[in-house]
Amino acid sequence: MGKFVIRRLAQAIMVVIAATLLLFIGLFVLGDPFASTGDKVVPPETQEILREKFGLDQSLPMQYLTYLGNLFTGDLGIDFNQRREVSSMIGDALPATARLALVAIIIDVFIGVVAGIVAAIFRYSFWDVLVTILTTLAIGIPTFVIGIWLRQTVSGVWIFPGVPRSFTEVVPWYQEVLLPAFTLAIVDAAFIARLMRGSMLEVLRTDYIRTARAKGLGERTVILKHAFRNSIIPVVTYVGISIGILMGGALITETLFQYNGVGFLLVKSIGQNNNPVIMAIVTFAVLIYVLLSMVVDILYAYLDPRIRLS
Amino acid sequence: MRNKAVWLRAAAGLSVAALVLSACSQKENTGTGGNEGGEEQAKPSSGWEETPDIEIQEGKQGGTFRLGITEPTAIDPYNAQESEGILVSQQLFTGLIKVDPDGEPLPGVADKWENNEDCTEWTFDLKTGTKFHNGEEVNAEAFKRGWERVAAKKSASEVAYHLAGIEGFDQMQAGTAKALSGVDASDPAKLVVKLTEPNCEFFLRTNHPVYSPVPTTAGDPATNTAFVESPIGNGPFMMDGKWEHDRGIKLKRFDDYGAGDPAYLDTVEITITANGNQDEYAGFENGTFDWARMPVPVLSQARSTYLDQDKWITRNTNGMNYLLVMVTKKPTDSVEARKAISMAINRDEIINSIFQGSQTPATSFVPPVFEDAFQADVCDACEFNLDEAKKLAEEAGLTEGTALTMQFNVDAGHDEWMAAVKDQLETNLGLKISMTSVPFPDLLDNERQPDAAGLYRSAWGADYPTPENFLTPLLSTTAIGAGPTEPATGDNKGRYSNTKFDDLLAEAKSNPDEAERTRLYQEAEKIAIGDDLALIPLWNRTQHRLVNSEKFINARMDFNENPDLSVISVK
Repeated sequence: MGKFVIRRLAQAIMVVIAATLLLFIGLFVLGDPFASTGDKVVPPETQEILREKFGLDQSLPMQYLTYLGNLFTGDLGIDFNQRREVSSMIGDALPATARLALVAIIIDVFIGVVAGIVAAIFRYSFWDVLVTILTTLAIGIPTFVIGIWLRQTVSGVWIFPGVPRSFTEVVPWYQEVLLPAFTLAIVDAAFIARLMRGSMLEVLRTDYIRTARAKGLGERTVILKHAFRNSIIPVVTYVGISIGILMGGALITETLFQYNGVGFLLVKSIGQNNNPVIMAIVTFAVLIYVLLSMVVDILYAYLDPRIRLS
Repeated sequence: MRNKAVWLRAAAGLSVAALVLSACSQKENTGTGGNEGGEEQAKPSSGWEETPDIEIQEGKQGGTFRLGITEPTAIDPYNAQESEGILVSQQLFTGLIKVDPDGEPLPGVADKWENNEDCTEWTFDLKTGTKFHNGEEVNAEAFKRGWERVAAKKSASEVAYHLAGIEGFDQMQAGTAKALSGVDASDPAKLVVKLTEPNCEFFLRTNHPVYSPVPTTAGDPATNTAFVESPIGNGPFMMDGKWEHDRGIKLKRFDDYGAGDPAYLDTVEITITANGNQDEYAGFENGTFDWARMPVPVLSQARSTYLDQDKWITRNTNGMNYLLVMVTKKPTDSVEARKAISMAINRDEIINSIFQGSQTPATSFVPPVFEDAFQADVCDACEFNLDEAKKLAEEAGLTEGTALTMQFNVDAGHDEWMAAVKDQLETNLGLKISMTSVPFPDLLDNERQPDAAGLYRSAWGADYPTPENFLTPLLSTTAIGAGPTEPATGDNKGRYSNTKFDDLLAEAKSNPDEAERTRLYQEAEKIAIGDDLALIPLWNRTQHRLVNSEKFINARMDFNENPDLSVISVK
């Protein structure tokens, strides 16, 4: 077991190094961040001073090694545009994105699971057809359309804060997060509903459910106690992936609702060629993903000895 | 009940969204075609008229003015650069001079200024007793300190070059000097500035925020970030709390303001939006903002709503939209070819059909905002003239199928009108045009290359209120900055070079007489634009704003296209 964990850890480190290297080269190819301000050329002397300040006068391999070294010591440097600590910029944005991801997941799991179970139990009923139609619609409409629609119609009404609104208007986080979370949750909820329905139908056909029913257990107990537990497994897997994606920031939705999370920060930084911030966010997203999948793999290995040996 | 209203609104919204979507696709269908050559032309239009200048009235203290901007790079004058940063910086700081919306200089901290005979030495007499927000006195030393803070190499200011030409600047940028040798602040009420070469318009440069004075607490911007985030200046407004990144900036009136009349407004709330003018417009409509820019697609509709309500401002500002032409490369290396291309572009038609009238066609390169220097018809080739265009094209060897490249930056709203220009040139002159769109940094990089050819979308705005700031950086030989086989390092990427033009500009630079300078600029423009057509002016920079005139008076656009907060007052 120890050997497996070490091997898996080494793999994870390799993935992080490969991903950051690719990213580094990609950003370099994207062009010179200091060539111009707006329509105007920056004088060569000024460009030189800026390159020196941000370490771009070093050779590319040297820059990469410096970056890796700094990454290990937790130093993400300062950004090209406002010259703020990148770690504090991400530190400000991360809690917001985490809250958004969490609320979105809660909403989509709740809606998705309930709708899926209802559709499975009352198969071919009006409710089942309704769920099918709604999920097809939700999956078919792009998120940004849903977002724009919600922003134009629902924002500023009832408990939903207006967008845009003055920054002096204090809105508690659980209200601010609602509309972007709904926007993100709609598509996910549709997926989950379909997963849940399919897997519930499958489980309901199995022998042990028939046995449970034959024993004379109430339908409620059969569904909630026996069928539910087994049929939720694919949903849990999906939710795990979904959290990983959401933690990397919701680019369009955050920008649309003026929500200061990691996604908006990334959008802004890409527009500015703000490489240190882009590097930091993408590295972070890669790390989360690698870590999550590593934990899952180790868990599987712990549960199933066959995986350890292969 | 409430809930029901929400869902009714939602349903209504969905149908609106559907309409918008279908409208978009319709527009796409009619986007091309349209131009049937020279037979039947739309009536010449001058676009929407400018709204009249307002008379500044006596205001009263009080009120909060709210507006939206996008997150600035810096509000500290050491690195304030885009219009948003300059907006905040100019409320917090007042330099030696100020300018009115037309760019006319007015006294700031300096009461008066003089130059020696050849304009290499400038003396600014400062008002005494004016104060920073922390009570510290503003004197000559404060200016010297501010300028040196910008020029110092370790500050790595992206806009330090605005100080170029002051003696000692190059040494500070190189890191070999710690002070500006050309700035003498020994008399607290007098600032003496030596320049490395004559510049009779140096005082106009000092309107830029980098020329602001700073208090002793400012320190090094790289380490004293507290000051950078919340600068202490001498301007009509002071920070009310910290800059909340990506949220907003609050300003309050500085009651001891000494460099002019104090402001009327109690506070200014600047909300930082994520989607720029879209959010500003939406915020104006839902009552969040008192001032707004607008995205181009809504201009026409917004104007019809707000013009009659007196909430609309249109001004031609100090900028120009033009096509950069590579004048040393075929097929645009002859005057005839450039004029043929320019005359084959029907600006009025594009303005009417694509911009819905929101732009005004250019007839010059120095824009009309410079009233004295502006020459209404210096660009005779800016007029659409198909017969003449065809004739010139023939002389220039632009024949059916001659290849021409055009390039513009993607995702910036240029697709439609660039396609129209391409279409007109193909239809009218039979050119074979290959047009590409690339990310903005790539566009700028491509333009600089020695083998760059064809036409590129360009725009320019002046940093200082003088025609010189259009002519020198874009058309003078020194502004190429490199030999014919190297990438250009200045803004003259078309590589136009004409010694007569250069001489006229040099003469203007060292001529202390303003009227004479204006005449020299006009003559220079006649050569570069009238005779040589070194670039192709398209339309003036015409800007539109919404303002809440129900609550506020004196709302006007300043020289940098921002609301002139120092005079706005509640009714």
